[in-house]
Formats: sequence, structure tokens, C-alpha cells
Amino acid sequence: AVPCVSGGLPKPTNITFFSINMRNILQWSPPEGLQEAELTYTVQYFIRYGQKKWLNKSECRNINRTCCDLSVETSDYEHQYYAKVKAIWETNCSKWAETGRFYPFLETQIGPPEVALSTDEKSISIVLTAPEKWKRNPEESSISMQQIYSNLKYNVSVYNAKSNRTWSQCVTNRTLVLSWLEPDTLYCVRVETFVPGPPRLAQPSEKQCVRTQKDQTSALK
Amino acid sequence: QEFQFGPCRVEGVVLQELWEAFWAMKDIVQAKDNITNVRLLRKEVLQNVSNAESCYLIRALLKFYLNTVFKNYQDKAADFRVRKSFSTLANNFVVIVSKLQPSQENEMFSVSDSARRRFLLFQRAFKQLDIEAAQTKAFGEVDILLTWMEKFYQL
Amino acid sequence: DGVAILPAPQNLSVQSTNMKHLLTWSPVMVPGEIIYYFVEYQGEYESLYMSHVWIPSSWCSPTKGPECDITDDITATVPYNLRVRATQGSETSAWSTLKPPFNRNSTILTPPGMDVTKDGFHLVIKLEDLGSQFEFLVAYWRREPGAKEHVKVVRSRGIPVHLETMEPGAAYCVKVQTFVKAIGRHSPFSQAECVKVQGETLPL
Repeated sequence: AVPCVSGGLPKPTNITFFSINMRNILQWSPPEGLQEAELTYTVQYFIRYGQKKWLNKSECRNINRTCCDLSVETSDYEHQYYAKVKAIWETNCSKWAETGRFYPFLETQIGPPEVALSTDEKSISIVLTAPEKWKRNPEESSISMQQIYSNLKYNVSVYNAKSNRTWSQCVTNRTLVLSWLEPDTLYCVRVETFVPGPPRLAQPSEKQCVRTQKDQTSALK
Repeated sequence: QEFQFGPCRVEGVVLQELWEAFWAMKDIVQAKDNITNVRLLRKEVLQNVSNAESCYLIRALLKFYLNTVFKNYQDKAADFRVRKSFSTLANNFVVIVSKLQPSQENEMFSVSDSARRRFLLFQRAFKQLDIEAAQTKAFGEVDILLTWMEKFYQL
Repeated sequence: DGVAILPAPQNLSVQSTNMKHLLTWSPVMVPGEIIYYFVEYQGEYESLYMSHVWIPSSWCSPTKGPECDITDDITATVPYNLRVRATQGSETSAWSTLKPPFNRNSTILTPPGMDVTKDGFHLVIKLEDLGSQFEFLVAYWRREPGAKEHVKVVRSRGIPVHLETMEPGAAYCVKVQTFVKAIGRHSPFSQAECVKVQGETLPL
């Protein structure tokens, strides 16, 4: 590649890792004032905090987009990492813009759990499945985020559409049965994962609604 | 909710308070650490620590933080958020250390010795750096320390 | 530095209830003048390891009123030294220091407010939001002779929480106390409140 004049461009801005379930995407914004320019970007990552080398991310050399998937390079979540990106335009390029120290174990967002609802006349059973850790390829064996965070909890909120009331319950195990519900009533459930520790963003699950069955005794009358 | 470092039990410290204190200053403190090719709390220091060792090790580490890492740091911490968070961490470390009473019996010598060797790995790496750079680096690694301490926190 | 003609604030004291700590003092009176106060603190660490270091209070450096909410500054269960001084223009008073130092383990804990309701057969409780320091020990029992008391630890605050699925026709009673992890102390229990599944909340 033709060497460029470093510092000829302002640096990219807002460089940060967006991480969910250990999928770690480096993202940034174009340099100030150059949002419309036809720039390309090149990414390097620091093999890990405590080591020596900056390495090129070959798939993110001279790219147009403003993101780069570094999940493979940052997959040992008990280590910390840095990454940097520079902007290039013809023979000019910016200095490197560098992330802060990224610690996947503490900073990754825990995605919403899978929520399976089944119902009968007066009860709803809720089966929760913790999200899976990101994996390189589908053949790789799955690891649940629950295996990584043994203190993972679920905050289940239940909305009774008839009484217009909501109540919640904090649970650690995967199954929960709501019994003695009102028959023929719509209930909506939303679940959020929670891990004690540093403040962490959490994505609640999509609201799912289910109607309890009609009261069989009144149906026979 | 309390810490259970092997036989040593510590009440009256809420780990969430320490996390929130450190998180408020993490970016500021870690940005000042330019020696990214050195990690003081390496895996060899904290990995596979037995319960029995943990009381000795945490006591040595926290005393070092109080006596050496935090020393004079408060004078340099111009940013108010850092000063406040620093005070929260330091005062809670004082509480933890005051409640750690590791056994001094002879048969515990091999355990305490193993913990001491781990601590010396950390201390040697610290001493190879300029004191201020080392203080900044050790302070920036409190997230690694709290992550390890969380394993001994009984919810 | 102004010569200390201005009198130092007197009668420093801390009122602390449910982990909310309020430092108060007698106002310094100078007719026709506005007096500002500066509050600073040091925890046991600072007094042991660097006694020259005082940290400005989060909300009261400066403040006009003769009081200061120091809740955000007291973040460990250790003795805290607190001091206040008055300023008027360039004049500054001497520091007044609280004696003895304040420790949050002396806070007064009161029974929490609670709202016991039902949603069909479900006993639901909403607890007063006293802050992240608080957990709630909720005791509930079926109102009948020899009924067993159940206890549930609730950490959610200010939102309705499911407590129990009730059996038709039964009445259930609930009382609650707070637990503050940081100081290892409970509040007294609240008054009990009872709910009947197909009726209104019963007075005790």
C-alpha cells in the first residue's frame, strides 16, 4: 500500500466496542466535518492488554464501512483489549484513534433470554433459556451466557390485560409457573436478564402475550 | 451478602458500591496508563487460587493497595469524580482488611507461602515500573481485582 | 487567606434516617450579608493514611443553607470526619469539625412503606423505594390458627412484586422489615396488612 501522509486528516471519532453476548464489534464515526467524504478506514487491534503487539485486521483494511467485527480477536473474555482505526483519503490519512481498555467479561451486554410460554385454563408456564455466547461458526458447540455468569438472574414482569396490573418476580431458575390465573384472560410477559457487578446495559425480551383457556366448568353449563 | 475468602468472612461491604465507584472513574484512570504491554494482576497471580489461599492473598493485595498504590494518589487526583470514587474504594478496602484474620497456624504455612509467591509476582511487576506509572496501572486494574473478588462474594 | 473574623459555624450534628444523612449546623449571622458554607469530609482511610486530605462534599461546596445532604459522600461503613466553614466575600471562618466522627452504622432504620394488593389469586406487594442499599424481608402467612410464616427476600423497589399465589377464600397477612447489607442491620417490622382473596383489604 502507498504510504500516506499521517495527520493529514482529522481522526475518526466515537470509537468504541459495541458488545452483546460476547459479539464484539468495533464501531466509530467519520472524522469531524468529513461525514460526506469518500473515506476508507484501516483497523488494528492490540493482541491483549499485557502483551506487546498491534496486529492488522486484514478484513478491515481500506474499508468504507464504520464498523469491524473483532469478536474472534477478543474472544478470550477474561482478557482486556484495545483497538484503533485511522481514516484514509487518497494520500492523506489521520492519526490513529484508539479505544479505551475493553474488558468483554465486564462490558458485554447480556441479551434477552428466549421465552417460551404455554398455558392451560388457570396457569401459564414460562421456560427461560439464557442467550448463547457468540460463536465463530455454527458447528462450534454452544456456550450459554449462564455458564459464564453463574449469578445471572431473570426479572420477569407479568401484565394482566384484564386488571391492567403488572407485577414482577426475580428468579434464578429457568422455569416459572404462574398458577391460579384468571381464565380466558390475556397475560403479557417480558423478561430481562441481570448480572450483579458493574453497571451493564440490558435488553428486555420482546413482550409476549398468551390467553388462558376458557373456564371448562362454565363452558359445560 | 458478604465476602467469604476461605475461612475469612467479611460483612458490611457492598460489592456493588465498589463497582459503581470504580466504573465512574475507569475511563479516566485507564486512559492515563500508557504502558499497555504490562499487566500487573496477570493470570498467574489470580487464577486457580484455592479458598484457603484467598484470605492471605486478598489481605496482601489490599494492604499493598492501601499502603502503596493509593499513597499520595489523592493529591494527584484532580478530577472530583476520581477523588470521590477513590475515597469510596480506599475506605471500603480499609473495612475489608480490618476484618480479615488469616490463620497463623504452622500447618497453614504452605498455603500462605503459595499466596505470598502469587503476591510477589504482582509486587515485582509493580516495582519494575516508575512508581507513579505503577500506581496508575495498579489503580486501573481494580476492575480485574474486583472481578476476582466477586468470585468470593456470597449473594 | 482572609483573617478569621467570621465566626465558625457551631453545633454541628448529623441526623441520619434510612441511610440518608443530613449534616446541620447553626447559621452564622451577619446582618445584611450572604454567608456561604463549605463542607468537606474524610473517611478512615484519609484520616489514617493522608490526614491532610479533605474532600469537598458533593453538594455543599459551597452551599447557602445551614445544612448539607452528605448521603452521597458517605460510601463506606467507617468513621467519617466532617468539617464546615463559613465565607463572606473574601472573609473565611475557621473550620468547625463534627465530634465525634459520623459512622453510617448509626442510622435510624424505620419500617418501610408497603402497598399490599391482589391480582386475582395473586398476592402482590409494592415496597417503598429507599435506595439500592436496602433489601426487604417480607413475612407473610395465611390468617388461620397455627399458620406457618413464610419469609421472602425482595430486592425490587418501587414496583409491584409477586409474593404468593393464594388459595380461594383464604386471607393472607403481610409484614415487612428492611435489611441494610452495608451495616448489617434490620429495621423493626411494619404493621401487618391482610388481604382476603375475594374481598377488600381487611383492617387488622
